[in-house]
Amino acid sequence: MEIKKLLFVTKFEELCFDAVQSLLSLREAALDHIVFVNVIERDKVAMRRGTGYQKEEEIRLRETANIRFIDWAEGLYEQGMEVGVYIVVGSLVAEVIKAAQKEEADLIVIGRSHKSMLEQFYSRSEITELIRRTSTPVLVYKPIPENVIVLEKPFERPLLATDWSAASLRAVEYLKGLKDITQKIDVIHVASKKELTGSTTMEVQETRKEKRQKLEEICDILEAAGIEARSHVYIGDPVQEIEKAARECQATMVVLGSSGKAAWAEKWVGSIPRAIAEKSIYPTLLIPPEQV
Amino acid sequence: MGEKVLVVDDDADARLFSVTVLEEHGYTPLEASDGEEGLKMIRKEKPNLIILDIMMPRQSGIRLYRELKTDKSLKNIHVIVLSGISKRAFLRSQKALTDFGGPPVPEPEVYLEKPVKAEDLAKTIKQVIG
Repeated sequence: MEIKKLLFVTKFEELCFDAVQSLLSLREAALDHIVFVNVIERDKVAMRRGTGYQKEEEIRLRETANIRFIDWAEGLYEQGMEVGVYIVVGSLVAEVIKAAQKEEADLIVIGRSHKSMLEQFYSRSEITELIRRTSTPVLVYKPIPENVIVLEKPFERPLLATDWSAASLRAVEYLKGLKDITQKIDVIHVASKKELTGSTTMEVQETRKEKRQKLEEICDILEAAGIEARSHVYIGDPVQEIEKAARECQATMVVLGSSGKAAWAEKWVGSIPRAIAEKSIYPTLLIPPEQV
Repeated sequence: MGEKVLVVDDDADARLFSVTVLEEHGYTPLEASDGEEGLKMIRKEKPNLIILDIMMPRQSGIRLYRELKTDKSLKNIHVIVLSGISKRAFLRSQKALTDFGGPPVPEPEVYLEKPVKAEDLAKTIKQVIG
């Protein structure tokens, strides 16, 4: 039996794009189609006393997942893969089975739940339930260890995190000068969850579109300088999301323009660049503003 | 009866948006929720224009677009791509599929990134099919 199409089930906590990429070796077997599935648990959007059904929360959760999947899909489309997406509200197992049947998937890939041993004891494991109910083979995938990175060529695939500050734009100029040793640059902006507001999908999508257009302008500058570049919008905590992006993009280094806002002793090192420099497993290149 | 326009999008809200714009401007909208269903409707209904999303279940807009543009009887149907996927990624994907041995396909006449304003969509449709 060939594995032509796989269903990749994610809650974005346990399995991310690096896991997808590690499965691409299946292309040599027959894989040419990946279908992403994100199931929003009912209790996250359920009726609450005084507020009713959490429609705006559902829109926000859907769009947060959509933004991630668009980013992943673009990376796969560019490699000639076929990609599909399901973002649904419901019960995980039932929705996964439904999607697997509709897509006639050859394999379901799912991560281990983050539930504690005690929770697992009291509630039936979703994986056990899935295996019991589906006729499609299931691969229970384990996260890639966080401390595995290759450092032979740190400038080969930098990840540039930008907030469009003067220092961020200076970082673009700096990276242009490294074009002979740089293979590709991934340019990322992390928007906060608060920015994803609106009562309709289109209002929420407008935020992503606006950020994305600004990122594309930076990509155009880099590509004009002869460096392949790709834009990514992430949503959430900047420190966590930049680290996640570095993993997903298989980056060799994180590059940040440091904030010019800080006037205290550290001068140009803002809180986010400082946290990344201290905590990240990646080499971190900090570009200060022109005048410190 | 206005000209037939097929909206291929898995997002029901997005379909409703495009269909409403089309109805308000006198066109006859048709709907499909994925690429496979879209291709069946295209062969059956022969629309004048297709408003095509990219990231969909079962068959994406990328593959559907290729099927359209490499089929002699369908390649002259106008296409407006309306998607969250960037034009850059779309063009790279088509290049990759051509590099793998597929036939080259032309760029879409219009590529719009979601979301788009109703008046802009209406104006674009008018520019493409009148």
